[in-house]
Amino acid sequence: MDIGNYYIIVALILLFISYIKDKKKTLKALNSILKISLNVLPVIFFIFVVMGLITVFVSKETIANLLGSRRGIVGILLGELVGAVALIQPSAVYPFSGTLLNKGASYAVLYAFIGTAILIGVSTLPAEIKFLGKRFTLIRNLLTILIIFVFSLFIHLIM
Amino acid sequence: MKKLIKEAIIYILIGLAIWGIVFLISDSKGIEIGKIVYNTFAQTIKIILSVIVFIGLITVWFTPEQIAKYFGKEAHWKRFLIASTVPMFLGGSLFTIFPLIGTLIDNGVSYGVAIAFITAWSAKIPMIPLEIHFLGLKFTIIRTLLVIPTAFILGYLGEIILEKMEKKKIALKLKEFVKEELVLDEDVVQVLEKEDNGNNNNNDKKNDK
Repeated sequence: MDIGNYYIIVALILLFISYIKDKKKTLKALNSILKISLNVLPVIFFIFVVMGLITVFVSKETIANLLGSRRGIVGILLGELVGAVALIQPSAVYPFSGTLLNKGASYAVLYAFIGTAILIGVSTLPAEIKFLGKRFTLIRNLLTILIIFVFSLFIHLIM
Repeated sequence: MKKLIKEAIIYILIGLAIWGIVFLISDSKGIEIGKIVYNTFAQTIKIILSVIVFIGLITVWFTPEQIAKYFGKEAHWKRFLIASTVPMFLGGSLFTIFPLIGTLIDNGVSYGVAIAFITAWSAKIPMIPLEIHFLGLKFTIIRTLLVIPTAFILGYLGEIILEKMEKKKIALKLKEFVKEELVLDEDVVQVLEKEDNGNNNNNDKKNDK
């Protein structure tokens, strides 16, 4: 079963419990749910269009050739950059990384790529800034890039 | 509410505009983007809606004080413990949790906990079978275990930096505030003087009559 169904079931159960315990509070919650939806869904539509844009114009073949041939520090930095910019669905990150492995990418480069692919996204930056603020977004992204670099070097040494 | 609707319309219009431009460049690429938008929407909408429900329930059932007790600064290092581990077991895309994290920060969660939470999310334990299949057991175990220290370190460092920046900003604001006060003072003095003169004149006229 797809993970989304679990989420929906848990959400509905919690909503039901909330309703039994306190109707007034739950109605208030439903009201804010409506407002949050109005706030979140348009931004998400915008993000999806940007995702589509990147997917259509940056081919996976180019990425694979780029990451497969480089190693060491240059490879790690490149892996981070590509992971941050190129958009790969979370469910597609591992299959695609498998392809990269077959094309000759090192584990350190893969670690850098997977880390930034999951944690940083150029296309999701507008959402992060909107919901969490410019300063938070800047610091979180810079620190993440830095620490993934350090741990990639660590992987480079042990694998 | 009006502002919300306005912003919503702006985001949708910009999105449609970008899409439209791609259509002008190439029909097939425009259609491809439509397919991607539809597919990602179909894949993520359940999680997005559920997370929104969680946010709504959290804001009603928990007061900021309650949340701050466990995830605010007063919880010391313990606040990182849950934030660096529990999200590892969750799934979904990063952007779906940004609104949730925003609500939590507004309700008393510290910056460090927020960053640790986001980072720990990257472990993606529900997808581990897939990761092992494509990347091997050794890499998967190392990567998953490294997520915990990564979340701890990022949360700790991020919080220190963000708080320093905030303090600086508050100091700057205070300086500006003081300056404005001074300027105001002079203005106020002038205005008061004028009013005073006017009153005196009026009083004089009244007295004359």
